[in-house]
Amino acid sequence: MTREHNLDPRTKLVIVLCLSTLGIAVNNLALLSAIALLSYVAASLFRANLKRTFRKIKSLIYMLLFIALVQSIFTRGEPLLSAGGFAILTVNGVERALQFILRMAIVIFSATIIGTSSSRSIIQGLVQWKLPYDIAFMAALGIRFLPMLREEIRDSLVAIQLRGIDIKNIPIKERISLYSYLFNPLLVGTLLKAERLSIAMEMRGFRAYDKRTSYLVLKFTKLDYLIMFFSIAITAVFLIISYM
Amino acid sequence: MHYIEIRDVDFEYEKGKSVFQNLSLNIDKNETIALMGPNGSGKTTLGKLMAGILKPTKGQVNVFSRDTRGIPLHEIGLRIGYLFQNPEKQFFANTVYDELGFVMKIKGYDEEYIKEKVEEKLELFQLKGLVNHSPFLLSQGEKQRLAIAAVLMNEPEYLILDEPTTGLDKKRKDMLLNLLFMLKNQGIGMTIISHDRRFVERICSRFIYISRGEIQYDERA
Ligand SMILES: Nc1ncnc2c1ncn2[C@@H]1O[C@H](COP(=O)(O)OP(=O)(O)O)[C@@H](O)[C@H]1O
Ligand SMILES: [Mg+2]
Repeated sequence: MTREHNLDPRTKLVIVLCLSTLGIAVNNLALLSAIALLSYVAASLFRANLKRTFRKIKSLIYMLLFIALVQSIFTRGEPLLSAGGFAILTVNGVERALQFILRMAIVIFSATIIGTSSSRSIIQGLVQWKLPYDIAFMAALGIRFLPMLREEIRDSLVAIQLRGIDIKNIPIKERISLYSYLFNPLLVGTLLKAERLSIAMEMRGFRAYDKRTSYLVLKFTKLDYLIMFFSIAITAVFLIISYM
Repeated sequence: MHYIEIRDVDFEYEKGKSVFQNLSLNIDKNETIALMGPNGSGKTTLGKLMAGILKPTKGQVNVFSRDTRGIPLHEIGLRIGYLFQNPEKQFFANTVYDELGFVMKIKGYDEEYIKEKVEEKLELFQLKGLVNHSPFLLSQGEKQRLAIAAVLMNEPEYLILDEPTTGLDKKRKDMLLNLLFMLKNQGIGMTIISHDRRFVERICSRFIYISRGEIQYDERA
């Protein structure tokens, strides 16, 4: 694969759907590891920015590890590690935890594949799959505005501290009202931005009609068909192996 | 000892794209400073470094003789009032009244006392008729005044105002100028970031012009 960006976004969606289906349906640890590896390889082939993704979800990873540990504690089975007759880690528990982590890894790796297509072509892909245009458009718009929201939360946190509030040391009751104050500018800001955006778009003649002629029309190539065929075939094989 | 000391400061938002290199500047509390320069020259960035909102990549910024790296933002906010270039960024409440009072409310002040303080500011900033309006829906001039009023609730000793005249007509600018003179006479020092030369010439005593992150001139009137 040299020009992976020429792949139809729908092909990527199929790959992602296949991978995540497998991640959920398969229980066998060895198979799950193989699928996780496969998603990793696929994501790197698409030159998805895995490093950036990892940085973004770093805090999530700790939570995953924590959940894994909890899963481990509350699952009965042969103890691996125990303290005073109380099993801290069990074989079953560790297996469950590994399954959980592998599944999340599969979902995260495969999701980065979608990010390598522009939101415009993803909308087009969904529309050509008969999804209503306004829904496809809203989904893509939401994705586009997320990073802005993060920046705004950061700014609000700075501004509210400059008002003289020590956000780290305030009693629980005041903390709750503080959160509602922090939420305000986000909500209002988002609404105002949406209004401005919709006015700007209507001024340019944009309406979310379903019947529209697109300059961008996606067409599957032979490579698309080939990759889709193999993705589905491999998925079927994995499923059959795991349920035999 | 100067009020704000910027010592050999480097700053960059992203690696390899420096905004300031080796910048040094001392600011005294009794001065009224105009910080001027073209768009993108680093005025806002310098203002945020002075207020400890941004920390230098290299070098040191001291305010009231303490390194800003070691001062929590809420402590700085009690002494230095900062007006953001976009005043909307510092609004949190649903009404003008609450915008002025909510910080004291969170801190557990007495309702009567809060009311007294808020009404004093409403009067001073001509916001009386707007108590129940949403801060987000005010006109530009009203937003500007409300943001300054909110900052002054903490009774800071110094103000950093980022482009306070943006979007104001001549009458509103005169009104703002009168307010700033009054604060100046109360002994509050200030740095006004602006490209409105005619505005700052009427109130400032020191003029600093920066371009591409370098100080082009620094003169006292
Ligand atoms: N949050 C940011 N991230 C990256 N670069 C920024 C950010 N804010 C400002 N810059 C850049 O830093 C430089 C100085 O910007 P700024 O301090 O806002 O200038 P001014 O206020 O004089 O217009 C500009 O080149 C601008 O693009
Ligand atoms: Mg600026």
